[in-house]
Amino acid sequence: MLNTPALNPAPQSRTPAAGRLTPPSLAALACLSLALLTGCSGGTSQSVSTAVKDSSSAVATARIALRQDMDGKLTRAAASTSLDDELKEIQTSRSTVLKLSPSTQEDRDTQKQALDVLDQCAAGFTTARAALAGNDGGTPSLPDGDKALADAQDALKQLEDNVGSQ
Amino acid sequence: MTSLHNPLPPVPHVAGRILDAQLHLMDRQVLDHDGVPVTTVDDLEVSGPALDVEIPPGTEPPVITALLTGSVLGTRIFGGRPPSSRLVRIPWTDVAEVGVVVRLGVSGEPLDASWVERWVRDKIIARIPGGRHDPR
Amino acid sequence: MWGPNEGSLVKRLLGVALGVLTAIGGFVDIGDLVTNAVVGSRFGLSLVWVVAIGVLGIILFANMSGRVAAVSGRATFEVIRERLGPRAGLANLSASFLINLMTVTAEIGGIALSLQLASSVYYLLWIPVAALAVWLVIWRVRFSIMENVTGLLGLTLIIFAVALFLLKPDWGSLAGQLTPAVPQQETVWTYSYYAIALFGAAMTPYEVFFFSSGAVEEGWTAKDLGQSRINVLVGFPLGGLLSVSIAACAAVVLLPAGISVTSLSQVVLPVAEGAGKLGLAFVLVGMAAATFGAALETTLSSGYTLAQFFGWSWGKFRRPAEAARFHLSMIVCLLVGIAVLATGVDPVLVTEYSVVFSAIALPLTYLPILIVANDPQYMREHVNGSAVNVLGMVYLVIILLASIAAIPLMIATGAGS
Repeated sequence: MLNTPALNPAPQSRTPAAGRLTPPSLAALACLSLALLTGCSGGTSQSVSTAVKDSSSAVATARIALRQDMDGKLTRAAASTSLDDELKEIQTSRSTVLKLSPSTQEDRDTQKQALDVLDQCAAGFTTARAALAGNDGGTPSLPDGDKALADAQDALKQLEDNVGSQ
Repeated sequence: MTSLHNPLPPVPHVAGRILDAQLHLMDRQVLDHDGVPVTTVDDLEVSGPALDVEIPPGTEPPVITALLTGSVLGTRIFGGRPPSSRLVRIPWTDVAEVGVVVRLGVSGEPLDASWVERWVRDKIIARIPGGRHDPR
Repeated sequence: MWGPNEGSLVKRLLGVALGVLTAIGGFVDIGDLVTNAVVGSRFGLSLVWVVAIGVLGIILFANMSGRVAAVSGRATFEVIRERLGPRAGLANLSASFLINLMTVTAEIGGIALSLQLASSVYYLLWIPVAALAVWLVIWRVRFSIMENVTGLLGLTLIIFAVALFLLKPDWGSLAGQLTPAVPQQETVWTYSYYAIALFGAAMTPYEVFFFSSGAVEEGWTAKDLGQSRINVLVGFPLGGLLSVSIAACAAVVLLPAGISVTSLSQVVLPVAEGAGKLGLAFVLVGMAAATFGAALETTLSSGYTLAQFFGWSWGKFRRPAEAARFHLSMIVCLLVGIAVLATGVDPVLVTEYSVVFSAIALPLTYLPILIVANDPQYMREHVNGSAVNVLGMVYLVIILLASIAAIPLMIATGAGS
């Protein structure tokens, strides 16, 4: 809500009729605002790279929580809360990427790749949560969950390098 | 309030401190004789000649007749003037002492200025279990 | 919070110790927890200097407002209205009250999130429970008991410092982070933005409303000033050290793993890493107590500000029926807090905004206090000394700068993202 560019005085002062908002200057202001808004949200690769960064943080957190649980350092309640929180983070990133409307073929590919990787992350979380909930020696076991998250982490790393090199 | 106009007789000599209504009365906390907050001085009512009338020589100087509270705060902030019948008055005769707070010589309980407090207490707070429990 | 001043020496010493301990335990709230962990995980220890400035500021500020309240018997918002008049006073009240309400919301969310970590029951289900508990304590429990219990339980947050030692970090490189410098992956703008957030978290204005009103609640006189000065001078710096150890824990465990804190469950991971399940138990008790204590303080503060502005009868030392509008306004505030949280807004996000808005609102309360603390009509011989005034003016400049820079930085950085 605080991100509305109308709050930013910069575009206003650059319009020719500063002080008096005539219709042309209003239009110019709107254009500038729009430019600022799109400029702030960045292109596809910018959004994807933010989403990837957030997701890496989430997966890394989940791996720490899982490892601590295996080491007997974390209670079940705290570990499962942590996994829930981080899964939510992945979902937020995923819906951000999903809402992008890429204009070039390259951007469309990036979006597709990102969605695949984020789905893999979500799947990794499913395994990890199932392992934590089960915990009766059956499958998936906690090491399975950790393995799934580690794979997701690798995929994220790869995607990060790809997006970064573009 | 301390400034003088020619048609008025000189200020009678009174023992004690000279008060500036704006500085020492307005927006001061009002406590009753038990030290319970009643309200804040939202405005003052001053007696005296009507507006737009030539003041004849020898007229008595205006005096504060009451402390005002209630809706007068709204009109003081946003402008306008509430009708005289809507003013909530605490007569100046009830005022016992003016310091960093204004102390009344009477109980705040029966005053008009306390009606909202009484209403909230009787209709809501006192009906919740423990509402009359002494915390000490 | 400030034990009885009479009696034997032992009793007095105990009183002093109790006051100091509760001041430490009561220093940290959800704003400090979240902001310090976020900053530690993203900037390491490179913003610790801001905590130091903030702690010195709150010492100065709390001391002044406590002195005004003890000497004149007048709490902060009565004074603000008298000094600024009704119009500027109302504007000030609106801003302070809204930010305070935001903090109430964040604290209740913090209690619920702590309880979720302890029980794995979803936090939204805990919110009505937490709010009800806050109200019950305000309704029934004596002020001093309320302050002492939450303050002492909040002391368990010392586990952050213990965990830091158990983590056996490379102290040399940790100390190397102490110099102010922008880390590689961050910009100077996010760095400044979080500097302001950290400043706001350390100096939250509600502490001043609460401190001055608490002095009136406890019937302080000029004689109690010594005790309050010790509480503030010893307790707040130690509370500040607690804040720094939260940041240090995050810097040791989360920063190297590339984790930037976005939830409370991440804040406790370093403690579990260093001190295991027992440490986790301590930190959960501490977080619940600290947020609960702060929820009490902020809820009371919202009642205090309103009642003091309009001249209503207020105070926990009165029966609720003798301060009816005061109690009603607090009930309404708690209900508003529940309603806001029920929309599913992330309490951590509310916290992050609340500390920045606190920084923006600081001049509103700071300036009137500084003026009145120099007014002999209120303060008699206890007016500010010249050293305090010089320091006060320096802080006025810092506070104004932070306040002015906050919103542009918020827009420029997309609230620190």
